[in-house]
Amino acid sequence: MKRKDRHIIIPFLTPGVLITFFFIVVPFFMAIRLGFYHMESYISPPKFVGFANYIQIFHESSFWNALKNGFVYGFISIALQVSIGIGIALILNETFKGKSFIRGLTLLPYILPTVVVALTWQWMLDGSIGVITHAVNKLGLGKVNWLETPTLAMFTVIMVSVWTWTPFVTTCFLAALQTIPLDLMDAAKVDGTTSWQRFFYITLPILKPILVIIILLRGIWMFNKFDIIWIMTKGGPLGATEHLPILTYQKAFQTYDIGGGTAVATISFVILFIIVFIYLKIFPIEG
Amino acid sequence: MPKKDTPVKKVVIYSLVIFIAIYSFFPIYWMFISSCRSYRALFSSTSLIPGPFSLKSYENLLGMTKYLINFKNSLWVAFVTTGITLICSILMSYVVTRYRMRGKQFILHSMLFIYMFPPLLLAVPLYFIFTKLRLTDTLWGLIISHTTITLPLGVWLLWGFFKAMPFELEEAAMVDGASRIKAFFWVVLPLSLPGILTVSIFSFLLSWTDYTFGLIILSSDIQKTLPIGLATMLGAGDLNWGEIMAGAFLISVPLLIMLVFLSKYFVKGLTAGAIKG
Repeated sequence: MKRKDRHIIIPFLTPGVLITFFFIVVPFFMAIRLGFYHMESYISPPKFVGFANYIQIFHESSFWNALKNGFVYGFISIALQVSIGIGIALILNETFKGKSFIRGLTLLPYILPTVVVALTWQWMLDGSIGVITHAVNKLGLGKVNWLETPTLAMFTVIMVSVWTWTPFVTTCFLAALQTIPLDLMDAAKVDGTTSWQRFFYITLPILKPILVIIILLRGIWMFNKFDIIWIMTKGGPLGATEHLPILTYQKAFQTYDIGGGTAVATISFVILFIIVFIYLKIFPIEG
Repeated sequence: MPKKDTPVKKVVIYSLVIFIAIYSFFPIYWMFISSCRSYRALFSSTSLIPGPFSLKSYENLLGMTKYLINFKNSLWVAFVTTGITLICSILMSYVVTRYRMRGKQFILHSMLFIYMFPPLLLAVPLYFIFTKLRLTDTLWGLIISHTTITLPLGVWLLWGFFKAMPFELEEAAMVDGASRIKAFFWVVLPLSLPGILTVSIFSFLLSWTDYTFGLIILSSDIQKTLPIGLATMLGAGDLNWGEIMAGAFLISVPLLIMLVFLSKYFVKGLTAGAIKG
């Protein structure tokens, strides 16, 4: 840094760096530290307890249940988002009238507030008068209790999550599809390939780097997702949809086990970090 | 010349497209027609055709709840968050792309790293800090917490944007006698308007739709933002699905308008890695 540049660099950087430092970096280390303390409330003095919170958590069945649920929720919803997203992108990449209108329409579920998504689906899945419950009942499948039966509740939150977050994959994949040279496709067509072959041997390999990033970003967000599950089920019934973020919230803000809550949050951050690390070792991002 | 699609293929494509459109739009349609269906019909009919029409749900929503106050709170929080994000991220990313300095890579990497933080990991210590600063249950507390998500996003997006912008443009202005600051305001900023717009849209969107931080930080009814206010209506005694759907529709209106007019920037932001949830 040259001396004469300082009068620009320092004032330009200061506001952002201060906010980042005081409200992101400091809290981050505070969170890790709080995991080793015991507190009765947010105003009582913290007491150092070493690894007690962690030992306690590893002995709780609710932790292992939450860990398992987090993986089930994360993996299934990412797999579905990515495959459905790619499918929709491929269809929307064909020629048809009203293309840009339809593309805008498919973005809608993504920009809606999570609260709106969760509440609207809850209304559609309402046990007595929900439109989907009613339709399913008419199909002869009986009255389905979408959110009251443990296994179904997990299915339902995954279904709603997939509905609202798939457009991200669709949009990114659709944009990436435009980068494939047309003559490459035409040449392959002339050579007599089927569209499946073209998808697996041309489209996918070219778009692999983008796909790697899409899956990474979706993965991070699905693993940390809190709001949609909290609004729809509060982690219930019987802990069937309780995953690590829900457990963190319950501990830190409902039972005021603040140390325990931050310990759970720290554990889930470490797990995510390890997964991302391994993922990037297998699929390195170039550039 | 690309070959014309066969009629069979055309039928298949159009039916798939229609299916996708219904799949994406039906819940929103249902939300809207439920919000303006009369009370009796709401609980006795699942007819897909709108009506019988009634604005009672909207009247109840605006008359019986703090919805308008919540709306005002949400607007204020979203605008201030967007403003702070813009100022800080424009200045930071500009300096980071234009000057050689130590710690530059560190700033960028930490912005990406922050992306990975579980919001709840930050929420607990932030609540702790806000308790000390007396910022719990205040809109400023919420604004600060929203900035922890929008700022890294803004820096990340604008960094890519400024990096792609040729340095020669500013140089030309400076050769003509403009100072660095002048070149920044009169050349760089106007040219980066698309990037700035993308960051504004996503900051606004993230703040406007946030539920998690609002739930943690706000507790009194008059401080609540729309998502929190609406979520608490569910299960509150004298309200029903009609009013909740009316509220849900009104929260979505600004976003629908934004999507219609600015969809280009949405796509631009999404493909550059701007994520909302």
